[in-house]
Amino acid sequence: MPEGRLFSALRALAESGVEFIVVGGVAAVLNGAPIATYDVDLVYSRRPANIEALAGVLARMDAVFRAQPERRLQPAASHLAAGGHLNLLTRYGPLDLLGTIGRSLGYEELRSHSAEFEIGGGVRVCVLDLETLIEVKEQLGGEKDIAVLPVLRRTLSEIRKPRTSQK
Amino acid sequence: MFGLFRGYAYIMADSDGRVEEPAPLPDYSEDGVDLTLIRWMLSLTPAERLQFLEEWADDMLANRELNARG
Repeated sequence: MPEGRLFSALRALAESGVEFIVVGGVAAVLNGAPIATYDVDLVYSRRPANIEALAGVLARMDAVFRAQPERRLQPAASHLAAGGHLNLLTRYGPLDLLGTIGRSLGYEELRSHSAEFEIGGGVRVCVLDLETLIEVKEQLGGEKDIAVLPVLRRTLSEIRKPRTSQK
Repeated sequence: MFGLFRGYAYIMADSDGRVEEPAPLPDYSEDGVDLTLIRWMLSLTPAERLQFLEEWADDMLANRELNARG
């Protein structure tokens, strides 16, 4: 398959053994929702070993903070451990790292609400399920989140219908 | 082949005038969501969905760049 930027970013993280869950728009698309997005949103485990692995792969991806890319400020392990939202720019495009989403839901809480998806080339990533993605967007309640809810809800309804053609 | 709009039904006829079955109307939910698009997405594998998104995003970014250049 052609290796686009989103795929390459996810593959780099997966192959480094980083524990993360794909959330946001890419999770919606992987679950079958026809929406558009340009960036990858991930919730990551804040276990020390994972922070170390994540910091390593981010360095290899040339990750810098997106707010002032010209300053080339690189995310440090301390930034990752703090668990806030890190809006980064990598060689593969925008990457948002989230310590928690919604009502302070972190990696451990979300793990049981996610499933592994094969995204090509044998790469498998953990993706938040559509039910939880909808709940989180309802909790956030921002205009951007509300705008996409009808499509997410209808996608979930279609998934729940018995259908033989779905893969 | 030519197409005719008759009311809301799209009728296709070949050069011999044989009329094909009208295509079904787009299937929208009551809140305006295009269900045909969702069903099409669900017919793809997750890898194909990601690939489609990648291609769409690349096309949009390329168009934006072209327009920015004037």
